Amino acid sequence: MKATATTISRRDLVGNIGKGATLAAAVTVLPGKAKAALGNQSVHYAMVIDARKCTGCHACSVACKTEFEVPLGVHRSWVEYVEKGTYPDVSRSFLPRLCNQCDVPLCVPVCPTGATYKRKEDGIVVVDADICIGCKYCMQACPYDVRFINPNTGTADKCDFCLHRVTQGLEPSCVNTCQGRARIFGDLNDPDSEVAKLVATEPVTVLRQEMGTKPNVFYIGADHADESDTRVPGQYIRVDTHRPVLERR
Amino acid sequence: MQELNWGLPVIGYLFLAGVGAGAYTVSSSVLLRGGGGFGGDHFNIARFGALLAPIPMIAGTGMIIFELGTFQAAVAQGDIGLFFKWINLFLTINLSPMSIGSWVLALCILASVLYAYTFLAKESAPDDDKKGLRQGLAWVGVPLGIAVAIYTGVMLGIMPSRPFWNSPVLALLFLISSMSTGVAGILLLRAMFGKAHATATGESSSDGGKSADRATYLLASSDVLLIGFEVLAIILFIMFAKLNIGNPGYAVSIILPGGELATMFWFGVVVVGLLLPVLIELRYVVPTLLYQQPYAMPRSIEMVVCAVVLVGGFMLRYVVVLAGQMTGPMGI
Repeated sequence: MKATATTISRRDLVGNIGKGATLAAAVTVLPGKAKAALGNQSVHYAMVIDARKCTGCHACSVACKTEFEVPLGVHRSWVEYVEKGTYPDVSRSFLPRLCNQCDVPLCVPVCPTGATYKRKEDGIVVVDADICIGCKYCMQACPYDVRFINPNTGTADKCDFCLHRVTQGLEPSCVNTCQGRARIFGDLNDPDSEVAKLVATEPVTVLRQEMGTKPNVFYIGADHADESDTRVPGQYIRVDTHRPVLERR
Repeated sequence: MQELNWGLPVIGYLFLAGVGAGAYTVSSSVLLRGGGGFGGDHFNIARFGALLAPIPMIAGTGMIIFELGTFQAAVAQGDIGLFFKWINLFLTINLSPMSIGSWVLALCILASVLYAYTFLAKESAPDDDKKGLRQGLAWVGVPLGIAVAIYTGVMLGIMPSRPFWNSPVLALLFLISSMSTGVAGILLLRAMFGKAHATATGESSSDGGKSADRATYLLASSDVLLIGFEVLAIILFIMFAKLNIGNPGYAVSIILPGGELATMFWFGVVVVGLLLPVLIELRYVVPTLLYQQPYAMPRSIEMVVCAVVLVGGFMLRYVVVLAGQMTGPMGI
């Protein structure tokens, strides 16, 4: 009897120690992790794209092209059309795309020269064209295919949330031009900002969440269907990327 | 068809750097195993490896510069400043596999050039005045060669956005393939330029021929073993991806029957690059291994075996680099 009691109490003791350790670890680690994810940045820029309001007019793509004089054949921002179903059960929706300015950007740790980095002050991921050598490693690492080689400079290029505008207090060019106000830009750290409220209250999604990149571009009502998703034989899904490379990757 | 950001220059680089790194590692280990073993024939093999190693590594590194965006812009715009922008690689070091790889590759090329220099003289011998330097560079060569062979696999393998590459087995596969193609490169050079038999050196005419064959036997049987490991690595690579759920399984189907690159992979890599050479080599190695019969592979067959191993090594890089870029994660 006694021996059994001892065994049980010993097991309980071990269990309790285990629980306590887990709890202690959770208490000490979790806030640290949350802090690390947010960084010490005072501003945390993010964009919410309400796909329900997007009409696929490409005004954002054009505004972006003019803002940066993006050369022909490459895009910082673009709009994809997603068609699916068989008549009469069909849908057609629009998916505006841009750099997700990820909290865990996969493009940054692979850069061999340190040309691409995430700005500490506002979380925007940028490319320093003076340092970049155009090795294209970041283009392979980006799960969203938002990077390209700018033919003028030979360096990697991508959307930077219109850094030159937002540092002056202006909205990014695509947000400024959006006809249906489908694109909303702001500071997630400011609880009163529209983006913070939308992210808090709407069922937002991000692209390829399973990559673990923690994107800062959130979508409302986006159709995440992809041609590779065709599970039912004969099911029709077509994606128009409106880029020279017709397929998503 | 997806956009191929990394094309032939990168494929060529992965192959050539692998051959060079493999040759350096194999040459160094043969030298360290016993510089003058088998009537000086170990030394001859080490010499062929040493003289071969820097050439493909330098050629491959030269090729990869063509793939740089800044180099292409420099050509298009005639801007000299952009030509040498790759220098930025060597102004910093970080944890990017490409950064570490660039430094390791630079060191490896430097060491292999010096190592080749110690063998340059025709009358180089195991105990000449360069012995110390040679031995030191051989000790450096084994880890450096392995590092260069393996980092390319790590470089491709760390990206979840490229599910075909995103496998730890890829680094192992590239390492084994590098060693195998390195051995093939040495054997090919030896078959092409080596003396008919060690008897020609006039050392010990009765034993010389046998010792030369014994040394070749050592390399050929190592090659059989390496190809065996490579087959194993390929099986593991496919199993890990195919038996996985989601992106890896989806991506690997491109090389499985019915996939776009299936023929290229199964014919070019597996049949031509692995099965064909291993069967030919076994035909000559097994009688020696089991029945101690004298080992004698005709030179012409030796050259064919080496050539197909090299072709297979190139095809492996070709299929892997293409497949990784033709597949992506499922869904959006």
